[in-house]
Amino acid sequence: MARLDGLDLASRRMLRGQTQGQRLSKRRGQSVEFADHRQYTAGDDLRFLDWNIYARLEQLFLKLFLEEQDLTLHILMDVSESTTMGQPSKALFIRKMAAALGYVGVVHHNRVAISAFANGVTMQLANQRGRGCISRLAEFLLTVENGGPTAFEKACKQVVQDRIGSGVVVVLSDMLFKEGYEAGLKRLFSRHYDVYVIQTLSPEERQPTLSGDLKLVDVEDADTAEVTMSAALVSYYRKTLASYCDQLQQFCTRHGAGYVLAGSDASAERLTLNTLRKSGLLR
Amino acid sequence: MEWLSPMIGIWAAAVSVPLLVLLYFLKLKRREQLISSTLLWKKAIQDMQVNAPFQKIRRNILLLLQLLALGAILLALAGPVLRMMGTGPRRYVLLIDRSASMNATDILPSRLAEAKRQARVFVESLPKDRLFSLNQAQTQVMAIAFDKTARVVCNFTSDRQQLFRAIDAIEPGDGASQIGQALVAARAFAQPVEADASNQSAEAPARLLLFSDGRIEDLPQQAVGQDELEYYAIGQHPDNLGIIAMQARRDFEDTQRVDVFLTLANYGPNSAASDVEFAVNETVVSVRPVNVDKESLASDGQTMLAGKMSMEFSFRSDEAAVVSVRVLKADALLADNTAYAVVSARKNLSIALVSEGNAVLRSALKACGPGRLDEMTAAEFEAKATTDFVVQQPYDVIVLDNVTIQTRPRARYLVFGQPPAGIDVTVGGELESQFVADWRARHPVLQYVNLNTLFAARGLMLQMPRDAEILAEFTKGPAISVLRRQGSVFILTAFDVLATNWPFEPGFVLYCYNAMQYLAAQASAETDGSLRPGEPIIVEGLPARMETTVTGPGIESLKLTATDAGLVRLPAAEHAGLYRMDFAGREAKYFAVNLNDEQESRIEPLKTLTLSGQEVKAAAKPLSRANLPLWPYLVLAALGLCLLEWWVYTGKMKL
Repeated sequence: MARLDGLDLASRRMLRGQTQGQRLSKRRGQSVEFADHRQYTAGDDLRFLDWNIYARLEQLFLKLFLEEQDLTLHILMDVSESTTMGQPSKALFIRKMAAALGYVGVVHHNRVAISAFANGVTMQLANQRGRGCISRLAEFLLTVENGGPTAFEKACKQVVQDRIGSGVVVVLSDMLFKEGYEAGLKRLFSRHYDVYVIQTLSPEERQPTLSGDLKLVDVEDADTAEVTMSAALVSYYRKTLASYCDQLQQFCTRHGAGYVLAGSDASAERLTLNTLRKSGLLR
Repeated sequence: MEWLSPMIGIWAAAVSVPLLVLLYFLKLKRREQLISSTLLWKKAIQDMQVNAPFQKIRRNILLLLQLLALGAILLALAGPVLRMMGTGPRRYVLLIDRSASMNATDILPSRLAEAKRQARVFVESLPKDRLFSLNQAQTQVMAIAFDKTARVVCNFTSDRQQLFRAIDAIEPGDGASQIGQALVAARAFAQPVEADASNQSAEAPARLLLFSDGRIEDLPQQAVGQDELEYYAIGQHPDNLGIIAMQARRDFEDTQRVDVFLTLANYGPNSAASDVEFAVNETVVSVRPVNVDKESLASDGQTMLAGKMSMEFSFRSDEAAVVSVRVLKADALLADNTAYAVVSARKNLSIALVSEGNAVLRSALKACGPGRLDEMTAAEFEAKATTDFVVQQPYDVIVLDNVTIQTRPRARYLVFGQPPAGIDVTVGGELESQFVADWRARHPVLQYVNLNTLFAARGLMLQMPRDAEILAEFTKGPAISVLRRQGSVFILTAFDVLATNWPFEPGFVLYCYNAMQYLAAQASAETDGSLRPGEPIIVEGLPARMETTVTGPGIESLKLTATDAGLVRLPAAEHAGLYRMDFAGREAKYFAVNLNDEQESRIEPLKTLTLSGQEVKAAAKPLSRANLPLWPYLVLAALGLCLLEWWVYTGKMKL
């Protein structure tokens, strides 16, 4: 927790906040960060005239400063039935990550919102700011229930419509959506959001240890696939998984989003302290 | 309700039901596994299928087993058979030799059993009846068992079970082997009976399959068409030591002494040593070691001659006796290792002379050394004949000296002059001054008798029936003849002795002696006959409807009843050995039935038969199963593979 305290959210974009905060925003405003000059027009505040330039050029230029604003951290956590699978389960890892990121967010006076989604957004906790919200955050993460199928696009649509505020959107999910992830993510890819996708896969998903003649049953929609496990099939599965993740990463990169693949057996702490820092989400 | 092919149904059920259950279990056993998403798996499967349409067959034991099981079922559906035999419907006649030599045990259990087995194999190998065949013509088989006589055990049929039963029912015999009757029967049955069976008559003649060792007496007299006969030689080696001849008889001089003569023959390529046991009334009298030479090549350079050895035993006894000789070496053929002979009780000739007084004849008969000579007149004879002669036969020979008698009890007669009435001999008139023109000097009755000097002043012109045996002829008619009528034997002399110069000739006494011996021998032949297997045993002169019991090899207390004419007949003594006939209140009679047959004792199987100069070679190999349907085995294999697969599968699931 103490180490998380040293972290803060970063956004590769400068996004508009709602209240004055600790983030530089595109809005020119009152702060100490110089941004630009512009020619004076009538009605401008004379306090921001750059007299030094006037003295040199005898022209009136106005000094522009970047306004510091707060940042909204929006965590989209997947609570569908599929996340309950895995040893350790993906749901646990997702909660840990949500807790860590949320903590980092509220501690640094960012606005933090958590949306749990399965078949659409099922629960939401919005506008949390400051250390006082930590307990509410924890309570939300403890009470949120896993279950139901996944409707990612629907959830994204709801999130965008809610207009909680522009900022960083972190998607915590296994990203294994039958409907595809592209439509949902495209809704998030807009100039308001800086999107990070943290794909969580259980060890069983990455290295299947199944054998024999099996009837694989999808935990969400009870879809079945009858397979006879063989080395060839497993290798095809791995290839498929790798290309799936690769495509996801390329998709994200193409749309300026961040992508991190994390195993559910990975340490949430290390991921937060190292990997996310390297990827630029935290600083 | 009947089942046309119940076995097929049972087979199908036995296979399909467990298979179905097994498949059900296999299906059920696919383990369910919950996973978070089937998305990637489906993609992987798709990829695998798309990327590798001809994927390398992986080492999957289950797949292999399934393929094998499927292959077995498919092969079973194809209906494979071991070897095709007999393409079209044909007709076959199985000729199975059941003669004595087929009892040889050089092939276990016996040659006949092997012949029957091969015959069965042949029947099994016939193409199965096609249920839905358009033409009704089917392969038909007939079975004939033959030794000296042929017996059709099964007429043409396509019913295998009937054929099997008929073949199984063939019993071994001890008879000689003659194929003539069997061939006649086979051809007679093979002729289409119905007039409309025109399509049958157009067919090839029925094929004959002979299962024999080839030791068949009458082969040279038979003829078969080209390829009509297939011969399956049965038998392996020729080793056999047997008795091929045996005779027991009382000595002519010393009638208490019985001489037994026998001949041993060795048909093996090595000399045979054995002990020969001689027993009288089942009491062993002596055992002698013998060593019989091996076979040798005959002077013609082709036929093999058996090594032979003669032996002689003798013993003294007044009583009737059963003599047996046994070769103690066990060899392939047992039937010729034992021979029996029945010796009648010592008995002096008893003669009845029916005469009106003939000193010459009386003295001549006395010279024959009879035990008893009773002289009586015709009237006395008639009186006795009606009472005593029916029940017992007190006289061996009755001499009729020119008398006319009305009753003729069954006996042996020496007749001089007037022949008895009712024996188909008529007197055609008187002859005068006759000489004997011709006579059969080698006949036992005329042995050493010189008839050149015989002059008959008067004689009878006898007209003999055709079956009479003429021994001597006058210039105009028969002088001496032998005639058999109604169980009696007559030696007819067509003249009165006293009307000739014969009493002064030594030939007359010789003639009387010969005639007595001949007739006495006829009497003993009637009672103590030595028989060959297959011959009937006949006893005559019994009271009407008398009960008798026959015991012998293969016969346990068979009850027979005499006919009204006092005749008991056992149709055939099938086996060599000693037969005993018991009569109520009389002495039992024994009959010796001996193989005594060189042809049958020579058990070497012939590889080539010669029928009327045409050679028939034995089939190279014994009949083996053909047309054996293999599908039941394949179905069984498929079942086994399924079970194995199940076992492997459950084993895998546990891992």
